[in-house]
This record gives sequence, structure tokens and C-alpha cells, in this order.
Amino acid sequence: MVRNRTLSPPARTILAIMADAGSRWLHGYDLCRQGRVKSGTLYPLLIRLEEQGYLEAEWQVPAEPGRPPRHAYRLTATGRALARANPPLGLGAVASDPQGKPA
Amino acid sequence: MLAETIVWLAAIILPARLRDWGRAMVVELATIERPGAALAFALGCLAGALRQTVSSHLLHPNQALEGTSVMQQGSSLLRRPRRLAALCAIGATGLGLAYMNAAGAPLSYLAINAAALAIGLLAVGVLTEAGRLWRIAGGAVGVALACMILFTALFGVSAEGATRWISAGGLLLQPALFLVPAVALGFARARDSVSLLAVLIAALALALQPDRAMAGALAAGMAALALARPGRGVLVALGAALAAFTATLVRADASPAMPFVDQIFYSSFAVHPLAGFAVLAGAALMLVPAIAGYIRDSDHRPIYAVFGAVWLAVILAAALGNYPTPLVGYSGSAILGYLISLLGLPPYAATRSIGRDGAAVQSEPEEQQPNLRASLTIAG
Repeated sequence: MVRNRTLSPPARTILAIMADAGSRWLHGYDLCRQGRVKSGTLYPLLIRLEEQGYLEAEWQVPAEPGRPPRHAYRLTATGRALARANPPLGLGAVASDPQGKPA
Repeated sequence: MLAETIVWLAAIILPARLRDWGRAMVVELATIERPGAALAFALGCLAGALRQTVSSHLLHPNQALEGTSVMQQGSSLLRRPRRLAALCAIGATGLGLAYMNAAGAPLSYLAINAAALAIGLLAVGVLTEAGRLWRIAGGAVGVALACMILFTALFGVSAEGATRWISAGGLLLQPALFLVPAVALGFARARDSVSLLAVLIAALALALQPDRAMAGALAAGMAALALARPGRGVLVALGAALAAFTATLVRADASPAMPFVDQIFYSSFAVHPLAGFAVLAGAALMLVPAIAGYIRDSDHRPIYAVFGAVWLAVILAAALGNYPTPLVGYSGSAILGYLISLLGLPPYAATRSIGRDGAAVQSEPEEQQPNLRASLTIAG
């Protein structure tokens, strides 16, 4: 079983954005812009979340014709639970470890 | 175009199981309209891909990769010296890009280094495919390369009393920086009269230019070869290289330090301690293939010794004088030189293990012995 690391502020931010989006699919650059997170931080994070089952990813054909399929992401049910347990630190929430216990 | 090249590079260095993510980065880049934002996105992707590749190969022993353990993946990498050297080149260049970005280098500097990395990797791929031709014509190719260095000495661009450069498309290239390592390694592999002639021509050219750093690198390489595999031809090569190096010492070298090119082992720390450590780490990465190969592959130790000695000399020259800092500084020639020189490394490392009776057992890579498991089972 892969051990969860304590989530970094960018990870919490991205999780919050994706949790707010609900079942809507999001794209990489949109997450970079909304979360003010660099792509070098975002993609390793997304890869880790997907490998741990918190995120699902799929290729989606865009609405505009002639454009290539784009990779899209949304949280799984366990991902949404992880997001709830790890809110962004700037929102007055208590910092906690991935198991939800106070630090 | 530059951003596309960088993100394409990020995509190809990712492990095979993450190819989809690489494609995702490439496609996502196409949706970004602002060039600055696109370049920042691409550079971030490259940095992330480097971290992911290192993490996948070396840092997470509990994480399964493509059905094998990370330790097996790391061991597999050590049996592929050229692949290891290519990864080290990517890592060192990436660290250099990070330093130059932090130090405020012009964007074109980063672009040229990244492009040199991409072109060099492409050239390695093409030349690897032409491997059989290389083995047949290796000595003649070495002579041709050495003649190009001599051509530069006679007809190249001069500055501050040195004639080391050629102009190509508005860029100044330093042929010795990307050809001397190849000549040295060519001689280390063949040690015949034709490859010796290549060394002698290169030594003459370096003395004429003069290029103290590359003459020192050639001398260091030949000294390493003389220690590992002495012979009359090797001693002749060493003598010529030392004579060339001595000739360069006699002539004053008044080249001033160029920003982001020379003296960056010191100036990078003034930017930020992390920038300084990035430069040092990048320089250290360049020597990893030589060290790893020397330890694990005793059959090819002379080649690893020459590879390591040449690049260590180039790094030391950069530390001690106003000479280009390879891979981590602004120098497309050095990046090309490192990648071209990795072709001199063996494609597979022969390794030894301990057999059941305690004796050393020579093992060839599985690609060369598809029935290895069957023969071990029968012998056991």
C-alpha cells in the first residue's frame, strides 16, 4: 500500500478546486491558472493522485472540430474525501495529516 | 516552436507507463495562446518530467513500475551506459536552465541550450541507428572530426587572440568542445593508427587555436587511457596531447569571462545558494556515467576512464579559468559534445556477479543472451 504524504499547499489548492468542480472535468492548464500552480508542480501531483486512486483521467474530444483530444481530470469519491480532509491552509482550517487527525 | 520542443522533450523522457501524461502536456500546450505563458508551461513540464523520471527510477523502492521493482529498473539503467548518460545530460541541462532562469539570463540562452539538447538527443538516436557504419568507418570519422577542429584553427572566428569558433546561422559554435571528446573516445575504443592520427591532428589544432581547456581535456583523456591500457600508440597520443597542452600554456589566454558561460561555479551562488547547488549538481551528474560504468563494467574501464577524465578536465577548466561551463552554462556546443561523446560508451555494460561456488560469473545483458535463464537452470 502506498503511504500518503502530508499534502503540500499546492496539492490542497488543487484538490479544493477539483472538489468544487464536482463531477465536471477539468484540464491541466485551467488548473494551473486557477490554482496559481506551475505545471512542473501540477503534473507530478496529478500523476500521484491518479496512481493512488484519488483522481480519474480520460481523453476527451473537444467541442471545436479539428482539435485533438484533451486530457481531462476529476476527483473520484475517495479523492473528494481526501479534499474534504485536507482543505487549503489559508481558509482557517486546522492543518491535519492525511488520516484526518490534527497535527 | 521553442515551447513545443521543450514540452516534446518532457514527454519523451517520461517513463513508458506515463506516456499518456506526456501527450497530455503536449496537447495542453497547444491550447495556450500567449508565448510567454506557453514557454513557462513547457519549462514547468520539463522540470516535472525530470523529477518524475528520477523518482520513478531511483527514489521510490516501494513503488512498482511496469511490473518490476524500482531497484530492478535502476539496475537496468546502469546496464545501459548510453541511456544513463543521456538522462544525466538531460538532468544537467535542466539544472542549468533552472540556474539561468533564476539568474535572469536572456530567454534566447535558455532556448539555445534546450534546442541543443533536443538536437543532440536526435543526433544520438540517428547515429545509434547507423552504428554498424560507425564501427566500420570509426577511424576515418575521427580523422574527419579532427580535421574540422583544425579547419577552425586555420579559418575560424578569432577573439582575444584565440581562433576557436565558427559562425553558423548567427550562432558562434566551438567545434573543439563537441568534437574533442568524440575523438578521444574514438581512439580509446579503437587504438589503431587511423584513430591515433585523429588524436594527433586534434592536438595540433588545439595548440594552434589555442584552446587550453580542450587541450587539457584531451591530455587528461589520454593520461587516463595510458593508465588503464598502456601501449605504444597510447603513449604517442599522450605525448602529443601533453605537448599541445604545454603549447597552450605558453601563450597567454586573455579571454574575458562571459556572463552565464564562464565562472558560473562562483557567480551562481551570488544569485541564490540553490542556484549554486543546481550548477554543482549538474556538473556532478555529468560524471555519473563514467563512475557507474567504471565500477560495474570492468571490461570497458578504459573507455569510462577517458569519458570521465575528459569531462572532468572541462569542468575543472571552467572552474579555474574563463572557459565554458559545460551543460549547466550557456553553451550549446558543450551540450552537443556531451551527447555526441556518449556514443563512445558501450551500449550495454557487461557485469559480474557471484556464482553459487563463490567465483565471479561474467553475465551479458539479457538482450544479448535470450536463453540465459534456461542455461542457468540447467547449470544449477
